[in-house]
Amino acid sequence: MTRERVASAEDISPGERQLVVVDGTSIGVFNVDGEYYALENECKHQGGPACTGRFGGKIVAEESPPGDRTTKRITDEMTVTCPWHGWEYEVATGQHIGRESIQLEQYEVDVEDGVIYVTVP
Amino acid sequence: MGQFTVTDADAHYLEDLGELATYLEDDDPWKHRFQSTSGGGDATEASSSAPVSLYPSSTGSRNVFGRIQRPEVTYPEEMGPEDVPDIMNYLGLDNCVILSQKVLTFGRIRGDDERMNKLAKTYTEYMLDKVVDPDRGIYTMIPAPFHDPEYTVKLIDEYGRRDGIVGLCMITAGPEPPLGNRRYEPIYDICEDLDLPVNFHTGGAGLEEFHIKGYEEFIETHTLGFLFNNMAQVVSLIVQGIPEKFPDLDVMFQESGIFWVPNIMHRLDAEYLKRPSEAPVLEKLPSEYMQEFYYGIQPLEVPENETHLEHVVDMIGGADRLMYASDYPHWDYDRPQVITDREFLDDDEKARILHGTAAEVMEI
Repeated sequence: MTRERVASAEDISPGERQLVVVDGTSIGVFNVDGEYYALENECKHQGGPACTGRFGGKIVAEESPPGDRTTKRITDEMTVTCPWHGWEYEVATGQHIGRESIQLEQYEVDVEDGVIYVTVP
Repeated sequence: MGQFTVTDADAHYLEDLGELATYLEDDDPWKHRFQSTSGGGDATEASSSAPVSLYPSSTGSRNVFGRIQRPEVTYPEEMGPEDVPDIMNYLGLDNCVILSQKVLTFGRIRGDDERMNKLAKTYTEYMLDKVVDPDRGIYTMIPAPFHDPEYTVKLIDEYGRRDGIVGLCMITAGPEPPLGNRRYEPIYDICEDLDLPVNFHTGGAGLEEFHIKGYEEFIETHTLGFLFNNMAQVVSLIVQGIPEKFPDLDVMFQESGIFWVPNIMHRLDAEYLKRPSEAPVLEKLPSEYMQEFYYGIQPLEVPENETHLEHVVDMIGGADRLMYASDYPHWDYDRPQVITDREFLDDDEKARILHGTAAEVMEI
């Protein structure tokens, strides 16, 4: 198990992310409203850099009466999309938004004295 | 048929417009237009071209220029009520869901007139009056005049609860926008409420204008068009989330065989994983919704290596998803033997496909 300092907390502001390498593993570290998440940067599809694409709100459909247009809106539930082919993952869980069983590896993140640490098993 | 009960989920009744005309009011111009097709009616509403122009067909010889024959029925002339028991006897059917022939042409009607509504209503009334007889295993569906969803809802409300009506027949050839569009949702809503299955049925009207114009033979346009129509609509239904919005709606697809089903399942899944933000209504993979639909088997593809067919049945979800359908008296109809002859199906699976699935879905 390797716990490694990856950045200063102030280097990754809310809504930002940084790619880091811990023990040879490429990892995306995300700040979502002050919460940090770390996901493997290797897409489960064809191995693309999953943590480097669009980092933004998930689009959801609102229920509407039969016959009405379905309203779609961007929520504050953040996702990251692999730029190779569009596989899109929830940052908080690492799960593909269309298929929960497809999941990027999650790594433990902690902040100590203003420093972000990621632990790789 | 032998040890198995056989329910045909999809045969066709070539309705006589002259007969349907009797269900229209005397001052309805369409009464006389219908009658003119069989030599009656008010001559001021007659048109010499009426028999071919009211409900257009498409080019191409269905019977391969006389090679395919149906001496046992009046087809391709109009049928009468007495034809149905004969057909059932001929095919060895215990139950038969017999559907409008003329609804198959709706996709080619581009005008916003009342032809489709008049046909749908008079066909339904005529069939309930003269042909449908649940005690003898004879059922039909309401043909959906999909150009007019509001009227379709009214028809369903009027006839959808009647004994012998086992579904709504929605033609997949022609509807634009495609059938996942919100304009059709009130139709699915009432069908779900009434527990009335929607039978998405491909059709051949306008086949020669299929996607790429200029094919030379019917074998080309039929191979592609009958397939494409169902594919086009199932993609729309799934991506727009109809099965998610109407989870208790029973959805059936007819007349494209079954090999196309896993094709679209796998292709939609692959697209969905790459573009999930475009289908946010979905809660699971497209293939998982498609495995909750039902499929008529006709015209069943039987490859020399039947293991391939066995795998297709498995990918669709097994015998519980499949229902025998003859498509009789059309040129490429299937007899029940197409199921009983399959060695990879056990007797329970054969019974399920030949009757059980249809009986459960359509409450036959």
